[in-house]
Amino acid sequence: MPERVRQLLPSVLSVLLALGVCWALIALTMEPGTATDAYLQMLWGGIGNWPAYLDGAAPTVITRPLGESAMKAALLTLTGLSVAVAFKVGLFNIGAQGQMLLGALAAAVVGAHVTLPGVLHVPAALLGAALAGAAWAGIAGLLRIYRGVHEVISTIMLNWVALSLVDNWLVVGPLRGAAEGGQSITGTAEIQATAVLPRLLSDGSRLNLGFPLALVAALAVWVWLTRTRSGFETRTVGLGAEAARAAGIPVARRMGLAMALAGAMAGLAGAVLVLGTEGRYPGTLGAPYGFDGIAIALIGNNHPLGATVSALFFGVLRAGGTRMQLLGVHKSFPELIQGLALLFVAGRMVWLAVLRRRGVAPTVAAEVPRA
Amino acid sequence: MLEVLHSLLFSTLDAAPALIFAALGAVLSERAGVIAVGTEGMMRVGAFCAAVAALVMPTPLAVVMGMLAGAALAGVHGFLSIRWRSDQVVSGIALNLVALAGGTFLLESLYGPNGTPPIEQLSRWNIPGLSGVPVLGALSGHSAPTYLALVLPFVFQGLLTRTPLGLRLRAVGDKPQAVATLGLSVAGLRWGAVLGSGLLAGLGGAVLSTAVLDRFEQHTPAGLGFMALAAMVFGRWTPVGAFLAATFFAFGNALRIGLVSSAPGIVELVPQGVLLALPYLLTLIVLTLQGQRSSAPAALGTPYEQESR
Repeated sequence: MPERVRQLLPSVLSVLLALGVCWALIALTMEPGTATDAYLQMLWGGIGNWPAYLDGAAPTVITRPLGESAMKAALLTLTGLSVAVAFKVGLFNIGAQGQMLLGALAAAVVGAHVTLPGVLHVPAALLGAALAGAAWAGIAGLLRIYRGVHEVISTIMLNWVALSLVDNWLVVGPLRGAAEGGQSITGTAEIQATAVLPRLLSDGSRLNLGFPLALVAALAVWVWLTRTRSGFETRTVGLGAEAARAAGIPVARRMGLAMALAGAMAGLAGAVLVLGTEGRYPGTLGAPYGFDGIAIALIGNNHPLGATVSALFFGVLRAGGTRMQLLGVHKSFPELIQGLALLFVAGRMVWLAVLRRRGVAPTVAAEVPRA
Repeated sequence: MLEVLHSLLFSTLDAAPALIFAALGAVLSERAGVIAVGTEGMMRVGAFCAAVAALVMPTPLAVVMGMLAGAALAGVHGFLSIRWRSDQVVSGIALNLVALAGGTFLLESLYGPNGTPPIEQLSRWNIPGLSGVPVLGALSGHSAPTYLALVLPFVFQGLLTRTPLGLRLRAVGDKPQAVATLGLSVAGLRWGAVLGSGLLAGLGGAVLSTAVLDRFEQHTPAGLGFMALAAMVFGRWTPVGAFLAATFFAFGNALRIGLVSSAPGIVELVPQGVLLALPYLLTLIVLTLQGQRSSAPAALGTPYEQESR
């Protein structure tokens, strides 16, 4: 079996096992038939109801679910990239949530209060979000480099600061939007039409430019990490800062840059949410996409493309998960599947031991990915 | 003025124990070399199981159930990270996710989205002769965990720095090879520390649902587990340091609530959100000023292998 496949195997098996365990959970608490139906619903809700389409239903039975999945996948890809990039340089970014919040706010402000010609408005809002996220993560990076403050504690603190300042002050205070007739609304003012991320399938689906944008970002990060000198140096720092320093690599600069890039990715996730679906900074971001990013990155083996694949898969599951409710299955099930999958990924060595006994894996255990 | 101080101290002492226990657990685990990112999940499981158990048994016993539940989750962490030498961060984060999603799923399918039915809170103890004294009287009238939380950190500090067991535990986190050379079991010591941290995090969670609140809610513990990690790092991986940091966080929170309720005008001067952010900002500033020459255990996060020297 080729080495690459062998590297992927534990993640794939983990996801399959998680799906199996959750199927059994529904089957035990309800009925086996319901469990299978629920999974089918989830599948149709995630990738489109093809049987109904072939039976003559409108194309929206496919485009709508695909749009929802792509939307979720775009956010998960970007926050997953954020965590993965930081991991590559040896830093644990728990702060993607806070960085995303700042990015979302910046996008909402640029989108609503800056007037620019159409072609420039979206890029300006995206840039603003990326810079805001990068700056927020940069604080943690600088503290780590110059004052030795552990990034886990600083990013946790920055998450809380961002949440307090943005959700409990700016959005309900100075930046609160006013609707027509002076009525107050939750969230900031609506972004201008020129700042909206264009929809790709007209009105039949919420699929917007954010999805290809996330894919391009993943590809760019992958190329940077594997094909450029600074990317190579970044990975070297992650494998051992002392050795990298001895080899003449500017460790502080690589760490700072990687952390800023991580923040920019999370900030872009915020922008995609605001410019693509919400149209304003809502009262709160709704879901902890930043924390999901940690799971996405780890299931994807901290590889930019791995994280993308894992985000695509869980995007489909998340979007389809809401359909399970029709059968009385709770909507947090996809998250449970995600958590269990990560748990089984953590049990990677158990997998390898089992595989070895079956003669699939080599007798020498493959290297454990270091977070 | 004295009254304000009294109520500040009182609410700090009510809120701090959950954080103190979880932070102590994290210190225990990390000093033995096992990363404690799973604290949040262990707290959540402890809080949930304690609340559910309290519906059918006396509350103090339910707290013990919560502790055991925390330890059970820690057992999974131990199995993966000690027995199978898995990545400890991955394992911890996974446990957090499973506890979050699984807890939500169970809560909603058993009791609905508003949390468990109300339970009987832990009884509060009055210290005779103290209740009337100004300010110091705030020490009286708390539930048992509060008093335990005021003593336990110092016991742990003594254990860790003055006993052979403490020495071994710290050695396992700094240089496991040395411990193995003495013929001691690295795995055994780490298992003990991890299970102990589960008991403590479970206790922290149980305190939330049986003393701070009177039920388990969807959002319990709402990031407190991560705050406990911050307290641990802030306190430089020492029990008393973590205790002081946790108390500081709880005090900051009490100060904010106290300020808003006693002087509503302050919200116009300083917005609520800024007040909310203050304790965290202050932590960042203090860390920036003192710098954090890392005092993390040297072998933290490195799985131990018998053959490697």
